[in-house]
Amino acid sequence: MIGLFKSMATTMKHALDGSTFTVEYPETTPEVSPRFRGVHKFSQERCIWCRQCENVCPNDTIQIVMDDQRNGEQYNLHIGQCIYCRLCEEVCPVDAILLTQNFEFTGDTKDDLAYNKEQLKNVPWYKDIDPLQSREPDRGAWIGEGEGEVDYE
Amino acid sequence: MTGTAGTVGETASVFLQSGSGQGATEGAPLADTVGRLLGFGSNMGPGETLIAAFIGAFFIGNLMLAMTGVAGPWAKRKITAAFTDRIAVNRVGPFGLLIIVADAVRLLSKELVVPDGVDRPAWDIAPILMAGSALLGFAVIPMGNGIQLADPETGLVYVFAVSSLASLGLVAAGYASNNKYSLLGGLRSIAQNIAYEIPLVITAASVVIFAGTLQLSGIVAAQTEPLVTILGVSIPAWYAFVNPFAFVLFMAANLAEVGRNPFDIPEAPTEIVAGYQTEYSSVYFVLMYLGEFLHIFLGGAIIATLFLGGPAGPVLPGIVWFIIKIWAVFLFTQWMRSAIPRVRIDQLIEIGWKGMLVLSFANLVLTAVIVGLIA
Amino acid sequence: MSLEDPQDQRGAQDRELVGVTEEGVDYDALEDLLGEKVIGRESHVNAEAFVIRPDEVQDTLFALRDEAGFDHCSCLTAQEYEDRYESIYHLKKYDDPTQEVGVVVPTSKRAPRSQTAEPVYRTADWHEREAYDLIGIDYDEHPDLRRILLPETWQGHPMGMDYNQDQPQVVTFESHTNPLAEDHKGEESDTMFINIGPHHPATHGVLHLKTVLDGEQVADVKPDIGYLHRCEEQMAQQGKYRKEIMPYPDRWDYSSAGILNEWAYARAAEDLADIDVPEYAQVVRTMSAELSRMAGHMLAVGTFALDVYGDFTAIFQYAFRDREKILNLLEDLTGQRLMFNYLRLGGLAWDLPEPREEYFDTVRDFLDELPQNVEEYHDLISSNEIFQIRCVDTGVLEPDVAKSYGATGPVARGSGIDYDLRRDDPYGYYPELDWDVITEDGCDNYARVLCRLQEVEQSARIIEQCVDLLEDWPEEDREIQSNVPRTLRPDEDAEIYRAVEAAKGELGIYIRSDGTDKPARFKIRSPCFSNLQTLPELSEGEYIPDLVASLGSLDIILGEVDR
Repeated sequence: MIGLFKSMATTMKHALDGSTFTVEYPETTPEVSPRFRGVHKFSQERCIWCRQCENVCPNDTIQIVMDDQRNGEQYNLHIGQCIYCRLCEEVCPVDAILLTQNFEFTGDTKDDLAYNKEQLKNVPWYKDIDPLQSREPDRGAWIGEGEGEVDYE
Repeated sequence: MTGTAGTVGETASVFLQSGSGQGATEGAPLADTVGRLLGFGSNMGPGETLIAAFIGAFFIGNLMLAMTGVAGPWAKRKITAAFTDRIAVNRVGPFGLLIIVADAVRLLSKELVVPDGVDRPAWDIAPILMAGSALLGFAVIPMGNGIQLADPETGLVYVFAVSSLASLGLVAAGYASNNKYSLLGGLRSIAQNIAYEIPLVITAASVVIFAGTLQLSGIVAAQTEPLVTILGVSIPAWYAFVNPFAFVLFMAANLAEVGRNPFDIPEAPTEIVAGYQTEYSSVYFVLMYLGEFLHIFLGGAIIATLFLGGPAGPVLPGIVWFIIKIWAVFLFTQWMRSAIPRVRIDQLIEIGWKGMLVLSFANLVLTAVIVGLIA
Repeated sequence: MSLEDPQDQRGAQDRELVGVTEEGVDYDALEDLLGEKVIGRESHVNAEAFVIRPDEVQDTLFALRDEAGFDHCSCLTAQEYEDRYESIYHLKKYDDPTQEVGVVVPTSKRAPRSQTAEPVYRTADWHEREAYDLIGIDYDEHPDLRRILLPETWQGHPMGMDYNQDQPQVVTFESHTNPLAEDHKGEESDTMFINIGPHHPATHGVLHLKTVLDGEQVADVKPDIGYLHRCEEQMAQQGKYRKEIMPYPDRWDYSSAGILNEWAYARAAEDLADIDVPEYAQVVRTMSAELSRMAGHMLAVGTFALDVYGDFTAIFQYAFRDREKILNLLEDLTGQRLMFNYLRLGGLAWDLPEPREEYFDTVRDFLDELPQNVEEYHDLISSNEIFQIRCVDTGVLEPDVAKSYGATGPVARGSGIDYDLRRDDPYGYYPELDWDVITEDGCDNYARVLCRLQEVEQSARIIEQCVDLLEDWPEEDREIQSNVPRTLRPDEDAEIYRAVEAAKGELGIYIRSDGTDKPARFKIRSPCFSNLQTLPELSEGEYIPDLVASLGSLDIILGEVDR
């Protein structure tokens, strides 16, 4: 019986201390860590159309269309299909694609979640956190990897 | 504080006296009150009695349904949330109270899915039987301030008789649903109810031996005298204090009777989905749910009447005390739900037949001997 | 008759085992033992392997099990080559998992038939069904050779070479098995067939238990899996070693134990391609892996309480709260709460988050609170008498049975099998740290839960030591990544089977390289897959609530069972 009373006392203790672990979500926005991987942001100005991100993407989420002169025309990313592994950001030599902390995105249909480069450019920062800055200390480890200069496959 | 407690107790007993004084008169006390209010005079004809009785029944039924309405969609969630460190409903209305309305609309506007091959009349009757049987039980409960629909001499027997009708509903729902989980739930509930109804009634019988009457107002009246007075605080002779052993037994058996942890095996969501209520949706689901909560409240009402002095209590009116006591029992069931694992069906039967039954008989014999020696 | 008399097995252990030397396994002695049966020898990266004829599988395996003590059939890998089919039995010893041997059974291309190993190791039952299902090898004398992951009506074997992935699976409605269709009462039958799952509150995912009930008691239970089959092996075979495979292991055991899964792939691939991992990275790996393990065990304990208590009980919520704290720590470290993708071949994606001191403080705060929280679980769960009568002596898994089924992890340790790859087959930084392997002798549901609760405490010990180490690590030595070629091309025909101790047990990866930058065969040995196989042993003859509790105490994650 002592065990039963212990169980009951423990739950009652939690009931009476009045503390809650959950938060009221839209009012209390959660703190996300600087490394959090949310929706992508793409910068056409920076992009050199090396297609490394398209190459490394494990499930073909990124689709790049180029013309005959190897000028970039389209940059499409299906954020509903993406598994948020951050490999595209990791391989990008010019930080043209970033994963922001923004996890609040919706769409009525699957097609709504297929973003083109304009939509990707307009993805807002979450709480004005620029992931590039917050993650900066670590990027050296990957950008200068291997020997010699970066290989553009 | 302690000085005034005595007078407070006296005030309460005055309330109680007035309540039970009305109850002692023949017939239906609440109906009489209603009749007086309507100006029917002291000698009502059969038609007038019928109208007054219906109005009284309407009042009590709605009071209980309203409490269930608060308990089901709102209080239960809030209580569980408190035990689990969460916030729970807080969006609709103040403290989320309007969720009751929202939930009612949601549930009632859902489609009533009738599965293939259900045994139609039985499947339809079961939810009504479950909700109805519990409501019937409230007819004889003295709630203080003269609120008691009827006060037959065999009141206690009547309460147990009608509340056991729910078992019929459970087993009908179980077999009529044409679902194996429902069938298992129905069988489990019938096994459980038989195993626990007997200790429940036998334990109640020990109270009857003390009080010397089956009339519920009589049982309440028997609990008014002070048991002991310590430092000016008089502790009333509630049977919970007179015979705590019987009280604990009754509480445990009652948990099984209303199917709450550790005895919630007829539903056992993680084992047999939802037992007998698996196939019910929409209005029928509401009725099932209502029935369940009404049974918890009826259980609380019986405990309050038999062991906690009915509507007795200081300062506040009797009906308020009565509702507080009912809610305390409800809170207790929710507390158990958060802390105690459910037992297995064979263990439940074992506890029922080998433990509770023996203990309740021992309690009965002991009470009889003690009462015999004193009287 | 698949299990020998326990007396005999004990006798076998007393005997001098063949092939055991100071340095490990003496493969020549084993070859002598097998004699004529061996028709060739292969050298895998992890162990030597003997090639045998497909009709001598049982003889060979019996000899290896009884004479040489290989009592753990860890995995069965089947694959198709240009000229043959092949089944590889990866054998180990529970006493010392570094002693390994492979048994390679080639079969002809035209009629791939091979003798079943089920009488030797019961675990081969499901493993061979999977091989039949995905590759298409027939196992003679197998008691129940049906498809296991794919539907019965599937056409073709999807991991075979001639399988056309674009071919539509045309299945008529009638040919689908409909469990509801035949609602009948057999003559003199007093049992009831009931489908528990695939949608049921207690199956922890989409598991289907075909259960036959005798009253409230379970007369027979057959787990039906495959509802969550996502072709993980095939996806891994289509990714390049270097990076593209790593995101997927997170999705096998998705109970936030992702880093442990990643480590399984990392360990196999690193050993295959001979990549070193810096010591600093090993410490961080160890720490993050143990955080993952704690989160996984918290979930296991919470959902087990859910199964036994019913409804969303306090314990489930408290366990979730503690898990949430761990996820916060992991989010700071890896950037996500479930699908971490944190490990890389030869290192890590990221160093510890800056400012480091702050991170260490949060970890320490969490660890300081933990003993109190664990004490609370003991108050709520293990010391509760009703919980005890529910769990003690129910779902009993005898050690011999557990070994035969290849059970590992807390399921094996709850049956008193002292088997933990972190200690027995050391990797990472575990050998340098001070911690204990938890075993419980109860063999029941209670022992398994107790085991997990205590392992949480041991994980906390490991993390604490890692934090101490990391704090004092000299700044110039914080190397998180070794030099790894941009495109990995392991040697042609190199084969490796490597396992790590994941949250649920031994998570093994078999990789065969064909000299390209993608694996030619990638096989996942999921601990849940083997552990789930013991469910009928645990629950037959018990009551339905015990079936549910046993299932909960096995702690399966369907994403890992079905892959």
